[in-house]
Amino acid sequence: MRSLQELILRLSDFWAGEGCVLQQPYDLEVGAGTMHPDTFLRVLGPEPWRVAFVQPSRRPADARYGENPFRLGKHLQLQVILKPSPPDVQALYVRSLEAMGVDLALHDLRFEEDNWEAPTLGAWGLGWQVMLDGMEITQFTYFQQAGGQELDPVSAEITYGLERITMFLGLARSVYDVSWVPDGLGYGEVRHQDELEFSKYYFEVADVGFLQERFAGHERESRRCLEAGLVLPAYECALKCSHLFNVLDSRGAVSVTERVGLIKRIRRLAVACAREYVASRERLGFPLLDRSEDRAAGSSGAAPRGTDGQG
Amino acid sequence: MAKGELLLEVRCEEIPARMLEPGLRELATRLFEELMARRLPPREVETGFTPRRLTVVLRGLPAREPDREEEALGPPATAAFDAAGKPTRAAAGFARRCGVGVEELRRVRTEKGEYVAAVKKTEGRPTAAVLAEIVPRILAGLSWPKTMRWGRGLGPWVRPVHGVVALFDGEVVEFELFGVASGRSTSAHPLLSPKPFDVVGAADYRRKLARRRVVLRFEDRRKRLLEEMRKRAEALGGRLVEDAELADRLAAVCAVPGVVEGAFEAEFLELPREVLTTTLRDHQSALAIEREGRLLPHFLTVMDRPDDPEGRVRAGNEWVVAARLADARFFYREDRGRPLADRRPELERLTFHEKLGSYGDKTERIEKICEVLCDGLDWRAEKAAAVQAAGLAKLDLTTEMVKEFTSLQGVVGGIYAREEGYPEEVWRAIYEQYLPAAADDPIPRGRVSKVVALADRIDSLVGIFGLGLVPTGSKDPFGLRRAAQGVVRIALEGNLGLDLDLIAAKAFQFYGDRLELQGKKVLAAWRPFLFDRVRFLLGREGFAYDEIEAAVAVGGTNLPDLRARVEALHRAREEPAFLSVVLAAKRIANIVKDSPERSFDESLLAEPAEIALHKAFGSLKSGLEEAESRADYESGLREIAGFAEVLDRFFVEVLVMDENRDLRRNRIALLQSIERVLSRTARLTEMVVDRSEQRPAAEAAGGEEE
Repeated sequence: MRSLQELILRLSDFWAGEGCVLQQPYDLEVGAGTMHPDTFLRVLGPEPWRVAFVQPSRRPADARYGENPFRLGKHLQLQVILKPSPPDVQALYVRSLEAMGVDLALHDLRFEEDNWEAPTLGAWGLGWQVMLDGMEITQFTYFQQAGGQELDPVSAEITYGLERITMFLGLARSVYDVSWVPDGLGYGEVRHQDELEFSKYYFEVADVGFLQERFAGHERESRRCLEAGLVLPAYECALKCSHLFNVLDSRGAVSVTERVGLIKRIRRLAVACAREYVASRERLGFPLLDRSEDRAAGSSGAAPRGTDGQG
Repeated sequence: MAKGELLLEVRCEEIPARMLEPGLRELATRLFEELMARRLPPREVETGFTPRRLTVVLRGLPAREPDREEEALGPPATAAFDAAGKPTRAAAGFARRCGVGVEELRRVRTEKGEYVAAVKKTEGRPTAAVLAEIVPRILAGLSWPKTMRWGRGLGPWVRPVHGVVALFDGEVVEFELFGVASGRSTSAHPLLSPKPFDVVGAADYRRKLARRRVVLRFEDRRKRLLEEMRKRAEALGGRLVEDAELADRLAAVCAVPGVVEGAFEAEFLELPREVLTTTLRDHQSALAIEREGRLLPHFLTVMDRPDDPEGRVRAGNEWVVAARLADARFFYREDRGRPLADRRPELERLTFHEKLGSYGDKTERIEKICEVLCDGLDWRAEKAAAVQAAGLAKLDLTTEMVKEFTSLQGVVGGIYAREEGYPEEVWRAIYEQYLPAAADDPIPRGRVSKVVALADRIDSLVGIFGLGLVPTGSKDPFGLRRAAQGVVRIALEGNLGLDLDLIAAKAFQFYGDRLELQGKKVLAAWRPFLFDRVRFLLGREGFAYDEIEAAVAVGGTNLPDLRARVEALHRAREEPAFLSVVLAAKRIANIVKDSPERSFDESLLAEPAEIALHKAFGSLKSGLEEAESRADYESGLREIAGFAEVLDRFFVEVLVMDENRDLRRNRIALLQSIERVLSRTARLTEMVVDRSEQRPAAEAAGGEEE
């Protein structure tokens, strides 16, 4: 593997071959692939789902003016959702590494406990960080809860950090040394200006008052959408709030007490969207349930479990 | 094949390293207990685990449960037989329910009269059938700290289950666990030898795993890894910097143990040793190597494979270590760009607790408590250094290094202060302020260190208690149990004769009007909380529960003094006369317990035995006072023991409850003053006389360990 682009192509190709919808990035600022509605909403309810997509993920607090060799204000995740999680999901994942060109006869692969929690989404899961030769290359999570709801069936989420993997496979000293295009443009040439300008924006320029207004505005809009039964627009507004919160935070404009309050406000929106989404799918008769019967055997009626039995 | 052998193996996705050993222990224990309860005792238990499997082998199990005979009581004889002595329908029904013939019923006498009874015979089931019933239930019911579901709602268990081997004397014990059927097929390593294979028994299983280089026993892996690491360290001209906790973790995360060696650029050695070893440990689970007390630019860690044929594993680990060390160096240089003391304003913006103020506020309070402590201990020479150290103690919370490695709080501040040339007692006090953090940590060494460590904890305890937030059950978000344990250990092990109640009362005042509870209430909560740690710690040292209770009941919060009382009791109880004193003390307590305070009149003494008692009491009192003034509780208790004989004689010869009211009251008054004096060293009535009633103190205190 010599470039970011090849990595994207090979992983996309591999997961498309496993029956995933090859989705595109969500066209909003998000902090992680998990927030893409094709992850966050689709893991809810009984309908099966398989998807893979690259998601540019924004972490304003990690921005470093394009100077730090490892940290980026925006990085690329390739995210896979397999719902329900198949029994051989780990073996599938290992095969995806081979598809990337990793010869596992030469490497050390380990799964270390790493549990995941997203307070703004009311979501948590159990799983691992996957370590290749001591480097974390993937987050592997069995979603247990999203939007405050217990999940049944359970989804497996596999998240590859694309820059890190490309760097690591080439043992590059800096992300800006990585090739984006094989023998062509490098990561720095494609993205450096973006990192530099957004670092300045996040840390120096962003107008706190304006961001706060927008936060409140999107929050109101999200509620209006929910009242109108429009769950996807409502969720989009919640995502806007989440990103605005991250920018405010990186700008140093959020005190410890405010922080808890803002997170709670976003979570309330996410939880309401999750509830409304399941209701909307139910009204449609969970249309993807039928599709699954054509393909997979043994999809006996999986009703949402409710909130029992988590130890 | 060995007779009576159970081979049980559960394979699943990687179990978190910290849960492997406890999970396996629970499995083996519950299996053992359930089998014992069914009178199927195994002769040997053997266990092993790798990240993806738990294995238990039991040997010497009987082939079947023993047959059981139970007597069941039926209807009264009068109802079971008619006038002619023939069995009635009631008798027949009872016999049928018990599975015996009517003629087998017997008559038995009970307190309620004559009844019929039947001897029920239950044939013992084959062991395999018992195992098929209990094993899946035990496996599914293991109490993991965190469980999950997978697929279509399978679980809950710690991670998805992939396979179960259950063989009893080579035959499959059939059951299902989360949709997985038990069998005889297993596999060794997911990458190196993924092909499944069958096993016929434990020996075959072990042999086949070993052939695939899986080391099943944790202890074997640990030993092998450590030996290899020490050898490599030596080959590099140094010595392994041992870290038992990390060695445990490393031995838990592999099935095929291999050691990876790596190097980093020597320029990173400019970093303080603690920062280097913590970076290696926390980020790369790697151990450092040293020569003559200085680190070498090498590290060792573990891989889950035997070799590194093209050096990829090494190259990968080196790449990550280099990146992490570059980060650490960046933080270090950033932090050192300005003096530690310049960070004080930032503490104002760092919240200690919403209602208790910032770390700046906390720092001011700790400074004041340090003064109080130095005054209380009469450590005048240390006061200035303690206040200075307290003022610097929390500053490292604002450094990049501590934000990155929270486990280095205190240590980082101490290092920076050392490098800025603060006196040793000051930087050490910063460095050691969080000691003891774990049960086997030492307490801070120097006087200044002890004072600062105590002040910080007392401030936290009083503050959080002052908000009414006393920890309950397993919930202790502010780590108050650990803080209290620190206070108690520092006071006890440092032999600091402080009245901790007084210090807490001062600490309360320093909070001004921030706290929600009144000082009295705070002290009422803080005292028993401290005493619980005292019970636990002294119990762990082998003092009996009643010895500790007797001392706690009278002792104040001067902990070395309390300990001296416990020690005295511990030794005194060996003396036979002491037993009589305890009995007498209990007797006195019984007599006077409901009686109002009476006044004593020496002229009313009549009987020789009470006159003798009064006289002996006089000398006991002065003897005790003298011993107590030297805190020599052992002599005090010996004085009391010498008093036993007179007391015994008094109780034999004198009737306290005399018909004459005045005599009666006078005797009670005498006993009341004796009781007061007897319970000055310890409340003797707490002492358990019959040793078999005694509980080990650690158990009584809930065996906590934080």
